[in-house]
Amino acid sequence: MENALDLLALSPPGWGGNLLRGLWSTFQTTLHSMENALEPLALSPPGWGGNLLRGLWSTFQIAAGAYALGLTLGLFGAFGKIYGGPVLRGTLAVYTTVIRAVPELVLILLLYYLGTDLLNIALTSMGFERIDISGLWAGIYVIGFVQGAYSTEVLRGAFQAVPFGQIEAARAIGMSAFKAHWRIILPAMVPFAIPGLANLWLIATKETALLAVVGFSELALETKQAAGATKSYFLFYCAAGALYLLLSLVSTGVFSLVERHFRRGQPQQS
Amino acid sequence: MRSKGYALSSYCCPVRILLHSEALASLTAYGNMTEKPHSNGPSATLEVQDLHKSFGELEVLKGVSMTAREGDVVSIIGSSGSGKSTFLRCINLLEMPTSGSIRLSGEELKFKGSGAKRMAADKKQVTRLRSQLGMVFQSFNLWQHMSVLQNVMEGQVQVLGVPKAEARERAESILQRVGLYEKRDQYPAFLSGGQQQRAAIARAVAMEPKVMLFDEPTSALDPELVGEVLKVIRGLAEEGRTMILVTHEMKFARDVSSEVVYLHEGRVEERGAPGDVFNNPSSERFAAFIQTDH
Repeated sequence: MENALDLLALSPPGWGGNLLRGLWSTFQTTLHSMENALEPLALSPPGWGGNLLRGLWSTFQIAAGAYALGLTLGLFGAFGKIYGGPVLRGTLAVYTTVIRAVPELVLILLLYYLGTDLLNIALTSMGFERIDISGLWAGIYVIGFVQGAYSTEVLRGAFQAVPFGQIEAARAIGMSAFKAHWRIILPAMVPFAIPGLANLWLIATKETALLAVVGFSELALETKQAAGATKSYFLFYCAAGALYLLLSLVSTGVFSLVERHFRRGQPQQS
Repeated sequence: MRSKGYALSSYCCPVRILLHSEALASLTAYGNMTEKPHSNGPSATLEVQDLHKSFGELEVLKGVSMTAREGDVVSIIGSSGSGKSTFLRCINLLEMPTSGSIRLSGEELKFKGSGAKRMAADKKQVTRLRSQLGMVFQSFNLWQHMSVLQNVMEGQVQVLGVPKAEARERAESILQRVGLYEKRDQYPAFLSGGQQQRAAIARAVAMEPKVMLFDEPTSALDPELVGEVLKVIRGLAEEGRTMILVTHEMKFARDVSSEVVYLHEGRVEERGAPGDVFNNPSSERFAAFIQTDH
């Protein structure tokens, strides 16, 4: 038994040292090949990491812009549905129904080409030159328009969840309609709206990927190009997935802070 | 976000504030209510004439009139469905009366249209008059996203245009009086019903209203919390505030009121000084009402 273990001794005539050296060089080779494998992600060319980050930034910009536009449309839409006359309510019903019924990809193709066409027809008929709309603004307008339909319903629901007594108290104390909305109703709506609005933001960040079909280089298209050029599909799509995840995690954190702030008056439910 | 139309000076005259701070002292001792002197001022503070209100086919108020002079406490009683809450809510136009007139300190509310399409003619006038009618609701209706102190400051700052520091000072002194100073930074949801209602009363008092309207202020409270709220209301009555009180608390109404109005099916069935009507009811229905229910 002792003789058998002697064979593993670290110094010759034992072979243990050789084994360890072998392990070390395997480790080094692996490390090296991993470095090589991650090389395409380097931030500066020939790496594609910079492109991915630029894509992420575009994605964020479009999502933020579209979200803001969607919220604005949603606020007008919600109050239009609540206070509007039959014509306005009907128009808004068509808007929310159609937008929510048609697949987003179709809407994006439709709105993108229709929108730019209409704008150019309008411009040329007024004697201006045709223009190329920047991908960023087109993306914001298209996704924002879609988001607006969903925001309308989220905010309408939140409005209706505000206890009516609080609105009556605002009227009874002599607030004008505008002031009652600004000071009482809107802040009281937020806790009811936040979960739905947080969802819409996360959807907005991911919906930007659909803009790849109209050639806007946000994160998804950048990833596709990088993957195509390097043939490292797995690597790049994992990297893109990680970036989307990062964006979601940070957003979720921000939204939970906002929610906590606006729920400050409500007891915690366990 | 400042209110443009109304300057503080227009209806929050310094005299009122002085009166109010003098009255602070008197509130500390809640004695038993002694005989309330009837003020016979030349003009009524609040005058409601021949008020009708229908909800669709259903006529809830069939011509109710009421006058409150400065310092009067008018209790409106009646079984549920008699229209007493609706009457109160018509006074500050939370419900739009179908017909009838409302005057506050001689100023008549202007309407346009008629029947179901009747509406206030002047929105500015409505918000101004509402700010002078302090309403206390059955279900408190405190703004949940504001602390107690912010609730009491909000109307002063946003409607009357009182500077924040001054509003805070006034709010704190009122909260002190209703026993909620220590709770001023709490949010309403963390308070008991009695505390919430006292905060809601403080919110109404902070506006220095000409008339306070109480809509069954103790009906949503647990029995053991009713006393603390009635004590505050009694204190306000003793200060000489003009109040209209819709209530089920017969004994309390009898104690604090200068006039009791008994409504039955949208009409005044009995009215008079509490001593008279409770001891010698002229209406059989009222006699039965005070006998059976209370």
